[in-house]
Amino acid sequence: MQKRWLSMASVLTAIALVAAACGGGGTSGTTSTPGASGSGAAATTAAATTGEIIIASDLPTSGADASSGLPTQNGAAFALSQTTSYKGIKFTFKPFDDTVNGVHDPQKGAQNVQQMLSDPKVVAMVGPFNSNVARAEIPIANQGQLAMMSPSNTNECLTQTFPYCDPQPAALRPTGKNNYFRIAAPDTVQGPAMADYILNTLKLTKVAVFSDNETFGKGVADNFVKRLTAKGGTLTNRSDFDWKTTNDFKPFINDAKAKGAQVIYAGATSATKACIVRSQMTGILDVPFTGPDGIGDDQCLKDSGSNTANMYFTNAAGDAGQNPDAASTVAAFKQAYPKASDLGAYTFPAYDCAFILIDAVKRAIDAAGGKVPTRQQVIDAVQSTSGLKGTVGTYAFDANGDPKSATMAFWASKGTPAAWVFQSQFSVGQ
Amino acid sequence: MVSSVANARARLVAGSRGRLLNGTLFALIAIALVILATKVATNGPAYFIQIVVYGLANGSIFALIALGYTMVYGIVELINFAHGDVFTLGGFISLWLLPIFGVTEGGTVTGAGLILPLLAILVISMILCAVVNVTIERVAYRPLRHAPRLTPLITAVGMSFVLEGIMFLWRGPFNLHYPNVLPATSIELGGANGPAIGFKDVAVIVIAVVLMVALTLFVERTKLGKAMRATAQDRDAAELMGIDINRTIAATFFIGALLAGAGGMIFGLYYNTITFDQGFTAGLVAFTAAVFGGIGNIQGAALGGLVIGMIQSLSDGYFDTAWTQVLIFAILVLVLVFRPTGILGMRVPEK
Repeated sequence: MQKRWLSMASVLTAIALVAAACGGGGTSGTTSTPGASGSGAAATTAAATTGEIIIASDLPTSGADASSGLPTQNGAAFALSQTTSYKGIKFTFKPFDDTVNGVHDPQKGAQNVQQMLSDPKVVAMVGPFNSNVARAEIPIANQGQLAMMSPSNTNECLTQTFPYCDPQPAALRPTGKNNYFRIAAPDTVQGPAMADYILNTLKLTKVAVFSDNETFGKGVADNFVKRLTAKGGTLTNRSDFDWKTTNDFKPFINDAKAKGAQVIYAGATSATKACIVRSQMTGILDVPFTGPDGIGDDQCLKDSGSNTANMYFTNAAGDAGQNPDAASTVAAFKQAYPKASDLGAYTFPAYDCAFILIDAVKRAIDAAGGKVPTRQQVIDAVQSTSGLKGTVGTYAFDANGDPKSATMAFWASKGTPAAWVFQSQFSVGQ
Repeated sequence: MVSSVANARARLVAGSRGRLLNGTLFALIAIALVILATKVATNGPAYFIQIVVYGLANGSIFALIALGYTMVYGIVELINFAHGDVFTLGGFISLWLLPIFGVTEGGTVTGAGLILPLLAILVISMILCAVVNVTIERVAYRPLRHAPRLTPLITAVGMSFVLEGIMFLWRGPFNLHYPNVLPATSIELGGANGPAIGFKDVAVIVIAVVLMVALTLFVERTKLGKAMRATAQDRDAAELMGIDINRTIAATFFIGALLAGAGGMIFGLYYNTITFDQGFTAGLVAFTAAVFGGIGNIQGAALGGLVIGMIQSLSDGYFDTAWTQVLIFAILVLVLVFRPTGILGMRVPEK
């Protein structure tokens, strides 16, 4: 008797599930705007039965990029290990890797987002790490109403409209609604910040600039040059390398030397050979070497060989060590991740990204009456974040998804063996 | 009759298209030369000499790789696509041996103390590369010696991927840092602002020249060298005269890989960076150098390597790295159109 009752119940459940699935599909099929209510409701139904939400991450965590990607992933993973559930709903962390052959890859990133969208439990993601990956991911995540929160994307064209942007930010958001947020200061701040640092702190004026010709590298170099020349500095020479085929940077270095360059600025990352240039400068040109956050890792110090002195980089996020309120979080992290290479310049920014998302999801759960919220509800909750204190900043977002105030920090290589040491930081209002 | 008229017309059209293409390439190179001349004039002679020195060093490395292509083609008429990867392998093996021999960047072994370990590493890397190349020949090319031409070409491409895959698995996909152990000293000509000829530049050029002279002497003076030349000229006749063809061909692969292995180590020491797939581009450029000088011709490969290295440095130094490949291959097309046998002429058997 009891057995029969059970089987009947299961049959009924199956019928109900099929009906729900068909209903969801039908609604979104007939609505012209892609499922703001229809598919969202279906997702809620499916997810509510399990009572679990997933916050994913998409970062480059293998190959050359792992030196910056893994420490970043650690930050997000640690934040989610601190909050495992809310009102009976389980929180899970699911990391994705966007490298192909060890280098971050926009197509791989886009595939990862597709995969996240196919899982109704995924309501938000931390990442991506690289601006060109973001450019490929935003339109896909946008159509699936997935909130993205990047600790390190700095390309200004991801959020702000400038005449030179291609594509324009609006083209990245087919639904017309924003789903992309970041906490890093854009390159319109990062490039100029180093220009100011060179002119005012290092007191040098003649700069040779190269870039890896990628979205990030070329963009930050362009912004650097604009500020440098506007403030009375001189650009001695500039090269935009095809980093995959170029191994000989000596002609560029000699050109810089012949034209009296006092500093080199690298619009590149350590994965795109930025610090090989530093190594090849040995014995030819002994001047400081500066760059964006992309050179601020161990790989760069290794690549520079014995020529590690006098290197500087800007970090588009603050240093958790400067915030006394974050001391206990930093200590707990170090206990959970004891290796020195576990911690990078973007570990705590990524921690904050996950922290903001967790906070937003909690508020969205409250707003949904204790149930699993829809993806759009999560986006709305992120957008309304205000005055939230993280380890490296206090967060609120403008309509573009940019932080209302961001921190820019300067780091320098010090000592033997060389290590990156925090120098100073300042806040930038947008 | 009708068809032959149509053919003639087709040839005429193709010919005029060809002339148009050549005209465009000539114009491109002429413009490049004019811009180069003005840029050389404005940047002064010191910078020019500096760029020429880099060109010679670049070219020496290309020449070392090109020699292997040209020797193998001369003897079995096969483009050994795995050759570029054997070159990379030389860099990887030497990178692995450096710490074993106690040579590290900023380490205790410096100055004259470096000579012995570096020479030992060079010799071991060269021999290991040669052994790998001979193995490739034995496994992938020899069984196919009488197969259609396309077959060993495909196995060559396959071996290239196999080698790249092995190096990828061994050290990963990174741009590896190759220790900068050679002294950074340089001779400054004409004061601090004059061109500086670095120890590294000189070392690269000297090692390459020594190896190339040794190779030429070997091919011209020794019995095995004579056997190689005979095999290249007419394999069947050589066999009838009692030459062990298999041994001679294996020796050719061995010597070609010795030079490529040396090239790999020199490349690492000179540029301080090495990637598992760098052999692909470097191999293509070196193959171009071999064709440029006249494939099958040893002096031609050396000359071709130097010329292409020079073009690369001049383009990198005065234009932009983005133009380098365009210029190299534009010049290649022109040379082949007007001298299909390369600058010094092909040395292939007449049949």
